[in-house]
Amino acid sequence: MKLLYKELMLAAHPTSLVFACLGCLVVVPAYPYTVIFMFGCLAPYITFLYARETNDAWYSAILPITKRESVKGKCQLIVFIQLFQLLLSIPCVVLRTILHIENNPVGIDATIAWYGLGFIIYGVFDLVFFPAYYKNGYKAGKAFVIAAIPMLLLMIASEGAVRLPALAWLDSYAPYDLLLQAPILLFGILCYIILICIAYWVSVKRFERVDL
Amino acid sequence: MTELLRVDHLNKHYPGFALQDVSFSVKPGRIMGLIGKNGAGKSTTLKSILNIVQPQSGIVSILGKDFYQNEKECKQEIGVVFGGIDFYPLKKLSTITAVTSRFYKDWDQNRYTEYLRQFSLDESKQFRTLSNGMKVKYLLALALSHHAKLYLLDEPTSGLDPVSRDEILHLFTRIVKDGKRSILFSTHITSDLDRCADDITYIQNGKVLQSADKDTFLRSFDHLKTPEDSKPLTLEEIMLRTEGRNSDETAL
Repeated sequence: MKLLYKELMLAAHPTSLVFACLGCLVVVPAYPYTVIFMFGCLAPYITFLYARETNDAWYSAILPITKRESVKGKCQLIVFIQLFQLLLSIPCVVLRTILHIENNPVGIDATIAWYGLGFIIYGVFDLVFFPAYYKNGYKAGKAFVIAAIPMLLLMIASEGAVRLPALAWLDSYAPYDLLLQAPILLFGILCYIILICIAYWVSVKRFERVDL
Repeated sequence: MTELLRVDHLNKHYPGFALQDVSFSVKPGRIMGLIGKNGAGKSTTLKSILNIVQPQSGIVSILGKDFYQNEKECKQEIGVVFGGIDFYPLKKLSTITAVTSRFYKDWDQNRYTEYLRQFSLDESKQFRTLSNGMKVKYLLALALSHHAKLYLLDEPTSGLDPVSRDEILHLFTRIVKDGKRSILFSTHITSDLDRCADDITYIQNGKVLQSADKDTFLRSFDHLKTPEDSKPLTLEEIMLRTEGRNSDETAL
């Protein structure tokens, strides 16, 4: 936990913590909810950019930790931000139900499928972003641009899917449809775990070869 | 144990520069100065020792243990200061310390507080508001507060006023006084070494030109003396004549 503590106290840009709180946007009656995932992907970009400008890698290098743990700390922080964002959105979805807010007219609702798709988007983004950044340890902008391409394609696919009548059940809160959506959530969680592990492993291998 | 730090045949190649076969050792109770002109490889040597840059070959042993195999364990025993690098400029010193202290099993808060008092540091200040000298003092306070046995300091006295430099050099001699701890510090301010170094390692173009105790080191450069020199050469004269002679040879 001390690695995460260090990241939260020193390395995390305050804006990335604000982005972590944007899971609450699901309470907005009409909003493209997949944009919330974009905030969860912007958080690592801003954090890595901030870390570079504050010489975080140098500070980490003199601490009694290895480069592997330095990467681990960053992964823990980003997973923390992304999971916090999704968890925070749950009570907001409940609040939305209590307030009897109509279904989102703009795009997909915060259904179980939406959460599953969110995990997939985060997993894919992290898989591309982390290794791209740790290839050299300083090009956060380039890593974000490369990782933003699959992120945007998946966002468009998620929002577009519910426009197709055959996939309208993805946008439904009906109990039967929610049951149908459950495998998407399980698949999303599995994807996220596997992809973040691969991202961490590749990033460590790359960062260990980087000269600061 | 006879050496706190042993560096054997360290090699690191960059395009246009190479650290070649760097070997030296630091014994307990000694202060070793690492000298050389800008770009000679002093910082690269320190960074290679700490695995901040990955050397192509070579062995680094700290307290008898292979550093690259036991990095975490070895780092608990060393204090590191890199002069000229600002960490987290917007953070308060108290925040940086609160995080740093969690990583060291032998963190000594009383000792840290004592160094804060001695260096007149205010923990409520942001790092960026400190002068260069005060930044070095703060980083030294962090490095000195976890009972390290070996201190690796890169240009710790650069940018310090004469009073602060004297204070820090005096502190160095106090640290090694018990004969159990050692300091390796790189500098291009040769007068610092005249005052406190026991051993000197001279790096030129990525190679160790000489590494020995101060007297042996000074004697080994007697061939640079001219008939006009009645006294032993100073470190500055040795550096100037060594580097100057090489420049002339390059020009020819």
